[in-house]
Amino acid sequence: MYLLRIAFRNLFRRWKRTLLIAGMLMLAVLVFLFMESFMMGIFDLSFNNIIDFETPHITVGRAEYFAEVEDDRERALEETFIPENDLLEEIRGLEGFTALTPVLDFSADFVAGRYDYPVLVRSVEPETFPEVFKNQDYLVAGEFVEPGDEGVVIGSQLARFFDLEAGDFYTLRFQDKQGSFNTLQGEVRGIVTVPHPEMNMNTVFVSREQAAAALGLEDESVSQLMIRMADRDQARERAQSLGGQLAGSGFEVRSYRDTSDFLTALEVFGYVEIYFILVLFLLVGSIGIISALVLAALERVEEIGMMKALGLKRSQIVRVFLVEAAGIGLLGGAAGVILGLIGVGFLTTLGINLDLIMDPEALGLPLAGRLYGSWNLSSFVVMFVFVVILAVVSSVIPAYWAASKNPVDAIHHR
Amino acid sequence: MELLELEKVEKIYQQGEIEVPALRGVDLTISRGEFTSVFGPSGSGKTTLLNLIGALDKATRGKIYFDGEELGEQSKNELAMLRRKKIGFIFQSYNLIPVLTALENVEFALRIAGVKNGKVSRKKSRELLAEVGLEGMEDRRPNELSGGQKQRVAVARALVKEPSLVLADEPTANLDSETSQEVLEIMLDMNRHLETTFVFSTHDPLVMDYARRLLEIKDGRITQDKNGREPGEASRRLGPDYSEKADGQEKE
Repeated sequence: MYLLRIAFRNLFRRWKRTLLIAGMLMLAVLVFLFMESFMMGIFDLSFNNIIDFETPHITVGRAEYFAEVEDDRERALEETFIPENDLLEEIRGLEGFTALTPVLDFSADFVAGRYDYPVLVRSVEPETFPEVFKNQDYLVAGEFVEPGDEGVVIGSQLARFFDLEAGDFYTLRFQDKQGSFNTLQGEVRGIVTVPHPEMNMNTVFVSREQAAAALGLEDESVSQLMIRMADRDQARERAQSLGGQLAGSGFEVRSYRDTSDFLTALEVFGYVEIYFILVLFLLVGSIGIISALVLAALERVEEIGMMKALGLKRSQIVRVFLVEAAGIGLLGGAAGVILGLIGVGFLTTLGINLDLIMDPEALGLPLAGRLYGSWNLSSFVVMFVFVVILAVVSSVIPAYWAASKNPVDAIHHR
Repeated sequence: MELLELEKVEKIYQQGEIEVPALRGVDLTISRGEFTSVFGPSGSGKTTLLNLIGALDKATRGKIYFDGEELGEQSKNELAMLRRKKIGFIFQSYNLIPVLTALENVEFALRIAGVKNGKVSRKKSRELLAEVGLEGMEDRRPNELSGGQKQRVAVARALVKEPSLVLADEPTANLDSETSQEVLEIMLDMNRHLETTFVFSTHDPLVMDYARRLLEIKDGRITQDKNGREPGEASRRLGPDYSEKADGQEKE
C-alpha cells in the first residue's frame, strides 16, 4: 500500500514532466480515435454511396460479363441474359432480401452540339429501380426516367460540361449487339446530383425497353440483376451463399465489396496509414516514458539507496516505478479517451464539410458534401488499455536499472 | 553478549586495474547496548566499516557475525530481511522520502519491517515522533521541516522498528551545534531505555564526546579503542559550542 502511495505521489513530483509525457500519449490516443472515426466515416459513406448509387449489396450477372468488363472496360452485350423465374425466385428467397431490379449497362458516347464524351448508360426498369437505388431522390431538375420514355437523365457535372438543361436535346452513339453503330436521341428529362462525384459525370440513365430495342436485344435482356438487402453487414455472406446455390449455372454473384475492390484496397491503405501515425506517436510517448523514468531514477538515487537500506527488495522498487509509469499511461489514456469522445462526438454529430479539407474526387472516392464520423467504442477501450500496457512495458528496463543500483553507491553517491 | 563480531575483515575496492584497500584486517567486537563512535580522517575506512556491519556491502575477506550469523554466507534477500528487522540507518543527508509526511516516513519503515496493522503502526510512529520532539509536525513533508527536524524524523524512522543496531553515518554533519546536541541526547536516551546499540561514524568532536566507546580508524585499521567513557559529559559542561571550544583547545 505504501509503495502504491509513493508511486502515486511521485507522479506529481515533477508534474510538468508527467503532464508532457501523458500529453503525448493523450495525443496518440486522440489522433488515432479521431482519424479512425474519420476514416471509418469516409469508407462507411463511400460504401453506402456505392450501394445507393452504383452497385447495391449484391449483383448477379454472367461470369463472362464480369470478366469482359474487367478486361477491356467495355460492357459486353453478348453476355446479357433474360432472367428466368427460377433464378428470380432463388434471389427473392434470400434471407434479408429487400428488392431486386434488372439493369442493362452499355458504353456509349454522349453527344451534344459539337462535343462528345464517353459514358456508361444504365438502362433501368423505372418501376423497380427506386426500390434498389436512390439516384432518383437526387434530382435537381426535371424528372426521372419513366417506362417507355425516350428521355435521358444525366448527372449535373455532365450537364455543366455540355451546358445542358432539362428539356435540351441529346444523342447517345453506341454499337449494338451486332457491332453496328446506332443512336438514341431525345430530351434530357432530368438532371441529378448524387454524392458520388464520378457518377455525376459519366453515368446516364435511360429506360430499359428503349435501350434493349436500340441495342438489338430482346426487351427482357439484362446485364445484371441488382439486389438490395436489409443489412449491409450480411451482404457478403448472402452473396457467397447465393454464389454457392448458382454454382455451375454460369452466373456469378458479387457483393458490393467485390465490385468496389479499389475502395477496399484504399480502406486497407487508410488503416495502415493511421496505424503508422499511431506507432510514431506511441514511439515518442514510449521514449518519453523511458527518459522520464531514467531522469527520475537519477534524481532519486539516494532515496532508492535508502529504500534498499530499509530492506526493500529490488522487485518492490521496480514495482514503484512500474506503477508510476502505469499512472502516466492511465492519465494519458484517460485524457485521450475523454477528448476522443468529445472529438468523435463532434465528428459524428456535426460532421466536416469535405470540400474544405480535401478533394474526394481527386482521390477517387465516391463521396461529396458533409462527412460524418463513425463510432467504434471498442477502439476507445483497446487504446486505453494499450497505452497503459505500453507505458508499463516501456518502464521495465529503466525500472530494473534504477532498482539494481548498489545501495552503498546510491546512498553515498554525492 | 556480542551483537557484532568482525574477524580479519578486509575490503578492497577495484578501480579499473588498481586495487584500493579500504579496510585491512579489522578485528572488532561490539556488544549489545553500546554507544560507539568511529572516527578518523576522510578515506580512513569509517563509512566502509559501517556499510559492512550494516549488511549493505560484503567484505572481500574475513568474517562478520551479526547476532551469531555470518553475513558473508547470506543472499541479497536474506541481507535485505536482516536490514528490515534488525538494523536502522541514519544518514548525514537524512534521505527521507520527500513525497511522504514525517509520520509516513516513520511508519513506512515499520510497515516494511512487517507490521501489517495500520492502526498499530500509526500509533507507534506517532509516539516515536513525539519522543523525538516532533509532536504536531506529523503531517509535514520533509521540505517543510528544518535540518534538525528532518534528522529527528530519520532518528524516529531508524528506531521505530526497535532494531538491534542503529548505524549513523555523520548524523550531525548538516546540523548546527545546538541541534546536534539535541539529536544526540535523543539517541542517547533511546540507547538507555531501549538498549539499542548505536554505532556512529563521525568527524564531529561532539559526537565523539557522546560516545561511551571511541574507535579510531586510520588507513583501514583500528588504531585506538577507548571504552567506558561518560557520554556527553564535556559537551554538557561546555554547552552547545563544545565543538568549537574543543577545536580551539586542540589548536592550543
